[in-house]
Amino acid sequence: MIRIAVFLFAGVAGALLPALLGSPLLLTLLTQAVINAILATGVGFLVRQNGLVSFGHAGFFGLGAYIVAVSTTNEWMPIGAALLVAILAPTLLALLLGAAMLRLAGVAFSMLTLAVAQAFYELAMRWRSLANGDDGIAAQLPGRILGLDSSLFQQAGSMFVICWIVLMLVLFGLSVLIAIPFGTLTLAIRENEERARFIGYHTILPRAAIYALSAAIAALAGVLFALYNGFVTPNVLYWGLSGEALVMAVVGGTRAVWGPALGALLFFLLKNAAGDLTEHWPAIIGGTLILVTVLLPRGASGTIALLMQRMGVRTA
Amino acid sequence: MTYPALEGIGLTRRFGGFIALDSVSIALRPGEIRGLIGPNGAGKSTLMDVLSGRTGKSASGRVLLFGHDISGLPARQRRRAGLARSFQKTNIFPDLTVAAQIGLAARAAETNNAEEVIDAMELSALAGQRAADISYGDQRRVDVALALVGRPRVLLLDEPAAGLSMAESLNLALLLRDLAARWQVTVLIVEHDMEVIFSICSHLTVLHLGRILANGPPEEVRAMPEVITAYLGSSAA
Repeated sequence: MIRIAVFLFAGVAGALLPALLGSPLLLTLLTQAVINAILATGVGFLVRQNGLVSFGHAGFFGLGAYIVAVSTTNEWMPIGAALLVAILAPTLLALLLGAAMLRLAGVAFSMLTLAVAQAFYELAMRWRSLANGDDGIAAQLPGRILGLDSSLFQQAGSMFVICWIVLMLVLFGLSVLIAIPFGTLTLAIRENEERARFIGYHTILPRAAIYALSAAIAALAGVLFALYNGFVTPNVLYWGLSGEALVMAVVGGTRAVWGPALGALLFFLLKNAAGDLTEHWPAIIGGTLILVTVLLPRGASGTIALLMQRMGVRTA
Repeated sequence: MTYPALEGIGLTRRFGGFIALDSVSIALRPGEIRGLIGPNGAGKSTLMDVLSGRTGKSASGRVLLFGHDISGLPARQRRRAGLARSFQKTNIFPDLTVAAQIGLAARAAETNNAEEVIDAMELSALAGQRAADISYGDQRRVDVALALVGRPRVLLLDEPAAGLSMAESLNLALLLRDLAARWQVTVLIVEHDMEVIFSICSHLTVLHLGRILANGPPEEVRAMPEVITAYLGSSAA
């Protein structure tokens, strides 16, 4: 009950934000930040539950975005079906890839995720007849999407609320998942895979399921990105986006499911402030990452959780 | 016909040119507590690994559990068939609470005896604590508890008392002897602490250089000259 109340409160508070802020520029920035927060949540959840680092979640993000753009432009299916396929196809792909790749240890797995995502990037660049290469492709959205006027998905004020609610639902779902036996099992496998086998568990399938779930979350973010921007370029598949999502997760901390989302919000605010100061803003981001890694190894959420723990408050 | 609880036939394990286990055969009677002893490098842990399926397909020979050939089964299926083990180095889930990890083992074993095991292993007071935060001796008991969940038919214990004080070792040994008798578990135990071995084992097998050197009741084995020479040393004579 406490969990539901916390997420309800956070959901309502966030939904009221556009009315309080008023600035379209800031709302645009925050909407992008929340979409990236969903992506970072997927990346961070993989670290939390599987102990694995993905350099390729842009692949699932971009795949989701491209499926929306390509299928609406070519009128392959109704928008509802396109959104479903845009999330399910990357999820299924991740499940299959996971079952094969998760037998590999740490760095080898990370490199394979990078390779797979870059393969999709190259595909989008070279398959001009389908994806229009580096010129990108516009999504031809219908007038109504899931019963809502499609303009609601392309205005910062309304899209922020939609994305915020989606983020809260994702975080709520993950906080439930880590509390049920499957969450305990995947955490146990992360901790000691051999012992998990010796108490009678299959270990690859649960890990693949977590990988697929994190891919689904990334694809969901990609779908929201396509709906909001109405335009998709190969940059959404590029490894740089995977790297940014990982930085967000590290800055926010992965021990709490909400850590990477917090990291994404901090990342965007810092990026915006640093961008106002200098064109070399990536150096400031890099410096911040070094500072966080050294001074706050648990990330922002871990530090907050530690402080709350000392005050006797439990966190998810 | 009564089958041995656990039987290994012609078990061989090579590491390159080195033969760690050389066609070893061993059979445990149902309900017995068998001690497996031998000097360092004798092949004791390797034998435990081969019996429990830790070595995968890199070992040869057959393993039978109550007459059923489990040689081709991976470790998790051997566990589900009733063959459990603990490890020489503490092998638990440090970030989970004691209760959570024993509960997890109980779900895998499709049993609800998690609390019974927690009580039996005297872990009740620590149930809510993270395993990483409890003492080494308690972690060893958690390791054994993970293997005991679901009342396995055969239990392989690889130096369960390693690193424990003399009093803790004896306490654990007597606890295990009582549980094995009460739950009718057949036990194969590797242990360097001879007090532990002689206090709970009804039968000993001595390994030396990957081969079985001797078999028999503890008093007889203890008196065998070849065993004294290979392992126990003159102090045991």
